[in-house]
This record gives sequence, structure tokens and C-alpha cells, in this order.
Amino acid sequence: MSVLEVRNATKRFPGVVALDDASIRVDRNEVVGLIGENGAGKSTLLKVLTGIYRLDEGEVRVNDGVIELTSPRDAFDHGVAMVFQEQSVIGTLSVAENIFLGREGEFIKGGLIDRGRMNEAARVELAKVHLDIDPAIRTEELSFAQRQMVEIAKALSLDSRIEGDIVILLDEPTSVLEKREVDLLFEIIRDLKDRAAIVFISHRLDEVLAISDRIYVLRNGAVVHETPATDATVTELHGHMVGRSLHHEYYREQRQSGAGERCVLEVKGLGRTGAFEDVSFALREGEVLGIAGVVGSGREALARCLAGLLPPERGEILIDGQPARLDSPARAVGHGVGFVPSERKAEGIVTGMSVCENVTLASLADFVRNGFIRRGDERAATQGWIERLSIRTPSGRTPIASLSGGNQQKVVLAKWRVAGSRIVILDHPTRGIDVGAKEDVYELVRDMTGEGLCVLLLADTLEEVIGLSSRIIVMRDGRVSATFDSPPGGKPNQVDLVRAMV
Amino acid sequence: MFIKPFGSNRRQFLQATAATGVIAGLGPRIARAEEWTCAVSMRSLANPYHATFAKGAETYAKSAGAPFEMLVTEGNSEKGIADVRALLSRTGGKLVLNIDPNDSPDARVIVEECAAAGAFVVTQWNKPEDLHPWDFDPSYVAHMSFDGVPTSKAITEKLIESMGGAGGIVAIGGILSNVPAIERKLGMEQAVEASGGKVEVLDFQPGDWNETKAFEIMQAWLTRFGDEIKGVWAANDGMAIGALEALRQDGRAGDVPVTGIDGIEAAYAAIEAGEMAGTVAWDPAWTGGMGLSIAHATATGALDIAGEPHEHREFYGTGIVVTADNLAEVRGEPAPIDYSDYWGRVTGQIQYRG
Amino acid sequence: MAVSFSRRIRSLAPVLVLLALCLVIASTNSNFLSVSNLIRLLSAAAIPLVLVMGATFVILMGSIDLSVEGVVALAAVAASMLVANDFTSLDLGFVALPAAMLLGGLLGLANGLLHVRLAIPSFMTTLGIGFACVGVATAILGGFTVRISDRTFRELTLGRLFDVPYSVWVAGLCVLVAWIIQERTRIGRWVYAIGTDEHTARQVGVPVERTRILVFALAGVFYGLGGAMSASQLGQGHALLSQGRLFTTITAVVVGGTALSGGVGSVLNSVVGVLVVIVLANGMVLMGIEPFVQQGVQGLLIILAVSLALDRSRLAVVK
Repeated sequence: MSVLEVRNATKRFPGVVALDDASIRVDRNEVVGLIGENGAGKSTLLKVLTGIYRLDEGEVRVNDGVIELTSPRDAFDHGVAMVFQEQSVIGTLSVAENIFLGREGEFIKGGLIDRGRMNEAARVELAKVHLDIDPAIRTEELSFAQRQMVEIAKALSLDSRIEGDIVILLDEPTSVLEKREVDLLFEIIRDLKDRAAIVFISHRLDEVLAISDRIYVLRNGAVVHETPATDATVTELHGHMVGRSLHHEYYREQRQSGAGERCVLEVKGLGRTGAFEDVSFALREGEVLGIAGVVGSGREALARCLAGLLPPERGEILIDGQPARLDSPARAVGHGVGFVPSERKAEGIVTGMSVCENVTLASLADFVRNGFIRRGDERAATQGWIERLSIRTPSGRTPIASLSGGNQQKVVLAKWRVAGSRIVILDHPTRGIDVGAKEDVYELVRDMTGEGLCVLLLADTLEEVIGLSSRIIVMRDGRVSATFDSPPGGKPNQVDLVRAMV
Repeated sequence: MFIKPFGSNRRQFLQATAATGVIAGLGPRIARAEEWTCAVSMRSLANPYHATFAKGAETYAKSAGAPFEMLVTEGNSEKGIADVRALLSRTGGKLVLNIDPNDSPDARVIVEECAAAGAFVVTQWNKPEDLHPWDFDPSYVAHMSFDGVPTSKAITEKLIESMGGAGGIVAIGGILSNVPAIERKLGMEQAVEASGGKVEVLDFQPGDWNETKAFEIMQAWLTRFGDEIKGVWAANDGMAIGALEALRQDGRAGDVPVTGIDGIEAAYAAIEAGEMAGTVAWDPAWTGGMGLSIAHATATGALDIAGEPHEHREFYGTGIVVTADNLAEVRGEPAPIDYSDYWGRVTGQIQYRG
Repeated sequence: MAVSFSRRIRSLAPVLVLLALCLVIASTNSNFLSVSNLIRLLSAAAIPLVLVMGATFVILMGSIDLSVEGVVALAAVAASMLVANDFTSLDLGFVALPAAMLLGGLLGLANGLLHVRLAIPSFMTTLGIGFACVGVATAILGGFTVRISDRTFRELTLGRLFDVPYSVWVAGLCVLVAWIIQERTRIGRWVYAIGTDEHTARQVGVPVERTRILVFALAGVFYGLGGAMSASQLGQGHALLSQGRLFTTITAVVVGGTALSGGVGSVLNSVVGVLVVIVLANGMVLMGIEPFVQQGVQGLLIILAVSLALDRSRLAVVK
């Protein structure tokens, strides 16, 4: 019996058919995987299921009855809960208050909220996700992963409060989680199957395969493939997603360039209290230096430090052999450092501006003559990079917010290429983007090093850091614990890296 | 600087004010060509001083049988000037204007416009020091103001008298940079000096013409000086009332004399109750009516203004010191103003204290 | 938990500023800590306290309310006309209190409705309503002052219970009510949710619009009460009675550590903020600081207090 079903859904936006006669069904006690490239229609489908969009054609059925969902809250009340990719917990409220936000009614007595009872109820929900925290503490004090768990607990709170079955939509829930936390999440999902149907959306195909019972592949707004997970393989799924088969050499190892003669960036004894200590390394032109480490190893702080966002307290940075002070982003940019941050929306792009304005943002001075911006040059430069990086956008004037995550990331890269950066820091460059776009990013990394740029990489997965880097340093507790050479054909293995990490 | 001159007659007064407001809002009324239109212009009707000023002017216009217009600048110089311009063109220059310019520089523009149109203008309070009525004979009829120094000195003397001639006083001033505030403070200091050391200013604080601020300052003084305070001087009645409330909360109202300046109703009531020693009443009904009267007489030829001495062209009016002794008289029905006694209240030519 | 520790220190910053201030003043003037001066301070703080209770909720929500002075003035005028006075023949006594609160609430409701229904920034709607209120008060009175002759009504600020003016007890009650609203009601929760992340709040079904309107109305009720108290304190009602209240109110809220961007702060912070502002004014007179210097000192201390209370780690961008 289907708990949630979408039949023949079509949703059009000006110029685009976002959903094209798509039908999916989620049965009771089932985990359904939903995959597809960015722009394939996953987000649109989710927004339909949570009442944000209405269908042009087709219908949504909950517990075998046709209904019209009008808002996320409405969907929630019908038993459809979404765990958002962009977290939607409110930092200034307590964990319990977040879990029951907007639904405080059951705890009201005499007009006042009974906080004791609310906290008790929250504890019950937190136990379901094995989160042992005080429900009265403010969520902003939690780690990112813990907040994610709170999100899930919030969705689970439906369980005891709704007649009938509940459906939990997990949108990229693992993209910010560490391995251990992912395992925990999977454990929870398996647990949940007794009570709920689950839709699992992820760009990590191996995870989708591991956790799902059934998988739908979306492409161009249509369901192109449906398969039991037991019958599927990553390669096959990938083929369905992109409509072509997986590139043999995923990480373009054959294009990995050897380190050049010239040392571009050298770091000596760099330290910052509470973040990292005594970090030294050298980066040569054409090299990709991977930095591996668990959360808290200090690698994020190190990257931000080299980007000028976090001044170091000790040690020395040499660029082209000359001492350089990178105590502001502007100075770092001036020294040819480009930073591609992991928080793309917050730091990588200016969402209110067009593609073109984003591309030229870091080097606007080059496009100014007599105090005026030369729009023609700006457009020409942008157009060049749109083609070179095959950024999928109608034009340079398109608002960047309307591009997919992968294409936004390319715009960020284009920005630094236009600015003439020679040291590019990639902080989780493939986080939250789909397989096809990932490959494009890998291709771009190889293009850059081929031209003599050097790259500092904080990768999303171990596989990625090994595949892309020419050399890898591993950090543990703020210090460099090991260094590995990683030439094509002679890549270090994951176990060695992990051993140095923990 | 708020005043309420009509005492018990207030309700009628308010109705009349409201009525003129309504009429003035009805839009253009074309004056007959042979008549001079009488007009006043001031900041707003929100403060009693200007409300009474306008009312006094209207009373004069009525008595002279002349059409009357009321302009309000709302604190906006541009609006003030534009309104005068519009009125000049509507009346074809047959205009008699009594104006309290929004800001000193406005006066020059307005005087020039009036002179060019053949209208007659009297200014109040604000004008540039180097602009004189005799430079624009006969169009710029006169400029009227009040000298804060002697008035303030007079009321301070009353305060000292009610303290028994000696002791410490605390003084609350207006906004530090404000001309009336500076003059009133100077007058207070002159009176204190004249006491020959028997009176001491314990502290001076600017109360910014604000009742609440005066209240808080007075509270702090009570803590700091306690019984040393024998008298409280305030640069206006509003602040005097604020200070009085602090005394009241301490149960000391009536024991420590308080004086203010401006003559607002609350101050009269406090004088009546023995909680304030005195205040100073300006008479804006007089300035409103007499300003028009002098200008109107000049316009109709009844007065040869160009032949008058300078002290009749730029002069100070009279402030009346109000104490328990003359309170009833001041609050009672105002005596009808003799509009032909042009110079009866002149207390001297304006002094410029660079 | 280093972050947590520094956050705790920061949340205590306004209290530390207050204590430091008291210490400095007390060391130069021993009368500062006398019971009579402390009572004076409380009586001066009473009305600002009532006003900030309203303003804090609005600011926590990420909005701003500039109608304080207008609403207070109109409520004060209304209250002064309802009790025995020399302008109307009414003599309704303490009915004036709920009436002023109702009037304030309605004006606040107007603020909220205009803001939400017409989607005009609260900055503009409240500024407009504030001006309109002063205008109406002016039109009613024609620039004159209503004098209150009702001795009982004046007792509200002049009378004392355990040697502390009733107005202080009223203010204390307001703080308690506001604190309960903040901590224990849905509106209180939703104010934080909206101030922190309106988008998310809306998604989980918080009635954002209704909350906003209610909060503005609630603020208006507090202003209305503050207006009635002002009338009682000064024994009169007029259109300019509330001059300076807006500045004090917003300053106190901000000095107390409530962020203008919303979501961070508390009514208790604002209590401390009010005390800082009042103690500072009192202290400068006590210490005999030159009037010319006072404003400078005031400005610097406000900046100091805010900079200590502000969590800069949360602010990548300052607007």
C-alpha cells in the first residue's frame, strides 16, 4: 500500500519543464532512493511533496487519497516531514523549542508553555536519533551534525502525533556528516522503517545503494529508471543519471601534472592558538596539495588562514619566496590567492547578482576605466569563461541564484581565473553537487594545474583527496601527522591516511 | 517657551483657534483689491506660544475689519517662504505680514520678497544681525524680540528674595547653544553676582527644555546636595515643573522655591499652590496683534514708520514677572489691547551680544 | 566549550558595565548608594522600563518601533483627559489606566497591520504612526496642556508602598509579565524564531504575520501604560510630553545587549539597559561632570556597552 504517491506530475516554469509526467510511489516500511543530476527535477519534486509548489498537472496522494498540500506545515500535518538540506533549525531557540516550533499547542496550559513537559517530549524524540543532549540547550551550541540530528528528530516527532503513516524526506542528509555519523544515520533509518516510509536523496550513489530498497532515477524532469537497490550498481545508476556511462578515469589521473620547479607558496611553522600549530609545507606550481583530516583537525582553519580570513598568530608565509602577510581577504587576493569556500551560498557567490557580476567581482578594477565599469569587456570575459568551463547558464546576465550548485561552483572558479589567481584553495569544492558536475570540477582542477596554477584541496571524501592530489598532508589535532606522495599510479591507500588521521 | 495668556477663557480660545484653522484650510480667499490682507506665519499651532500669537493677530484683524490668513511653516523654511510668496502673489502685494521666521536667514528672503511686492512686514525673534528694518523703508516695518537677560535677572531676583536672600541654588538651563537659553542663563548669573556672594550656584545642568530630563537632574541633585539646595532656577516652566515633581516625590515641594520662565498654566497653578515662587509671562497675543497693527498702520499711511527712531524699529517687548502677588491679575481676563499704543511696551533697542 | 564561555561573559557584559558604572560613581559620591538615591533611580527608571518591555519584543523580532513618543504622548493626553482635569469635565479616575493601555494597543495594532498587510517596513509605518499621534494630540489640544487635578491618579507616581513609589511596583509587574510572555508563551518563542530566521519559522507553520501584528499591539499596550504613567508623573498631558523617550528606549534596549538584527536578547537585558542609561545620567550629575562633556561620555559608554555585548563572531557583515 502506498503511503505517498505522485502521479503523472508535470510542473512548468517559464522556459523549463521541471517535472515531466513523473510518477513515484513510496510504500509503507520502505526506503526509496531518489537520485538525479542537479536540474533533474529532484528539488522540484520535493517542493511539490512539501506543499511549496503546486502541480500544473498530476496529483499527490497521501494514504491513497488525493490531497492538495498548501505549505510545508500542511504537508507536515499530513504526515510528510522534510529534513532540509539547508538546515532549518533556529539557533537562538532550544532544542526542544525547535522540535516543536509552531506546534506548541499540546504543551500549553493556562496560556503558558509547560517547558518541563516539552523538554520531556523532546527527550523522547532525541532518543530516537540516539542524541544524548539536554533538550533545553540552545541549538547554536550544537555541532553541525548534531543539528542535523535535531532536524531529523523534529521530523520523527510526527510519529506519535499523526494518525496513519508518516513519510520522511531526507534531502542530502549526509553531505555534512562524517563517516561515523553517516553510519549512525543509516542505523536510525533502518530503525525507522518499522514506523515510516523514507525518501532518501543523496549525490553519494554508494550511500543510496546501501540504504535504499528501491531507487528512482530522475533526468530532465522525468523518471528514467526504477530499480530495486539489490539489482543496481553505481556505474549503472550513473549511466542512467547522466545518460552516458561513467568516465573511465574518474579523477583524471592521467592528466595529473608533475610538480614544477618553482615553489609558489611556502608555509613555515604556522600556528594559531586553538586551531593548528607548527604547520609547514611547500606548494609548487602545477601541484595539487590535498589536506586530509577529520573535523577538528585544524585543516579548515588552515585553509581560511591562507585565504586571509583568519590571521595566523605564529609562523611565516612565503609567496614566490617573499614573505607575505595575508591578514585580510583583500591582501590574499592581491597575492594571487583564490578561495573557493565550502559555504558556497554564504561566501562563494553573491546571490543577488548576475553570473557576470559574480565572475568579475574579485577583479573589478581590471574592468574599470575612468571610474566606470566597461560592461562590454566584462561581458566578453564572462562569455569566454562560460564557454571554457561549460557553465550552463542562458547568459551572463542570468541571476546566479537560478543556476544549479555545480554551475555556481564553476562561476566561483571562473571568478578566480579572471582575477588571475595562482594559488586556488578549494574547500570541499564538490560538496552538494552531483556526479556530472563533480567530474567537470575535476576536469577544471586539471586544467588549472596544467596551466601552472597550484591548488590546495580540502576534499569531500578520502577517495577524492587521493584521486586528485599530487601530494597529501594529513592533519591531526592541529598538527601535520603525515605526508604522502600521490603520483599517478602510485596513490597511497585509504587505510594509511585514516591511520594518520585518527 | 510656552504661554497661555487667556486663563479661564481657554476653552473658547481653543474653539476659536480650531475654527481659524479650519477656515485657513479652506483655500484661497481673494481679498478685495482695496483691502490689505493681514497674515501671520509661525512654526506650528502645537505650542501654546504660537497658538496664542496667531489668536492675538486674528483678534486684531477682526477689530480692523481686515481679511486674515494664517501660515504654518511646520519647521520647514522652504515651506514658510513658499507660502509667503504664494500669498504675496494672491493678494497682489497688498499684504501686511507678522512673521516669526523659521530660521534667521529666512527673514532676509521674506523681507526682500515683501519689499519687491510692496507689502509690509514685521518680524519676530529671528533675523540676521546685519538685516535692519531701516534698510528696507518702509516695507520692513519692524523687528520685535524679547531680551532674555533682564527678564531672567528679574525672576532670579524673585527667587533669591523668596529664599530669604541667601543660600545655594541649582540651575537647569535650556539647550546649551540656544540663544534664549544663553540669555536666560546670563540673566540668572547677573542676579546671583548681584547678591554679593550670599547666593551660590551649586550646579548648572542643561535640561534641554525637557521636563523629564529636568526631573532626573533634580533627582540627582537631591542626592548630591540634599538640604544645601535652597532654591531651584529653571530656564523655562516645563523644566521647572519637572524639577518640582522630583521635589514632590521627596515631599519637599513648597519648602524649596522654584522659578521658571514662560508663564504656562501649570506654573501658575504651582505658584497658586505655593510650590513655585514665580515665572515670567510673555504676551504673545500682544506681539501677534501689535505686529500687525504697526504694519497695517504703516500700510494705510496712519503711521510714518520711516520717520520713527531705531528703537521703534528693532525693539524688545516686555516680559511680566508673575508671582503669587499678581497671579490673579495675570490669569484673569486680559485687558483689551490698545492697538494704537504702538510703543507702550518697548523696553529698548535690540542689543547684539556678539 | 570555549565558545560557550565567551558567550556567557558577553551576555553578562551589560551587567558588568552597570556594576562598573555604579562602582565608579559610588567611589566619588557616597550618597549614590544611599537608599533614597536608589529609590530615586528606580522611580526615574519606572517609565522607561515599561516602554522598553514593549520595544524589546519588537526589536527581538527584527523590527523597529519608532512610534514610542507619539503613542506615549497621545496616551498621556488621553489619560489626562479622562481623570479629573481642567480640560474636560470627566473624572473617571483609574479607568484612565486601562483606557490608555487600550488606546496604545490599538495604535500598536495599527502599526502592525500597516506593516504586515501593506508590507511597509516597520521603520516607516511606526515613524508615520508616531507622527500622526503627535499630530492628533496637537489637534486635540491646540498646543495647550491638560493639567491633572486628580490627586489619586497622581498617587500612582507620588504614592509609596514600602517607601518605593507605586510606579516602580507597576514597572516591576510589567517586567514580570513581559518575562513570562518571553519565556512561557508561544508568542515569546515565535518572536525569537521570526527574529532569527523568519523563513524557517514560516516553513514550520509559525503564523508570522499574526505574531508580528500582535507584538506591535503588545508593545503599544506597554507604551499606553507608559503614557498614563508619564501623565501621572508630571501631572499633565501635552503633545510634547514624551520628548526624548524614543532615544532612551532604543538606547536602553541596545545597551542591554539585544541585537537590532533580531533574535538575540531578552527583556531582562533591557532592564539592565534601562538601569545603565538612568544610572549614567544620574551619575554624571552626581560626579559633577561638565555638561559639555556629558554627552560625549554618554555616547562613548553606549558604544562601549554595545561593543562588549555584541557577539562579533556571529557577524561576518556589519550593516
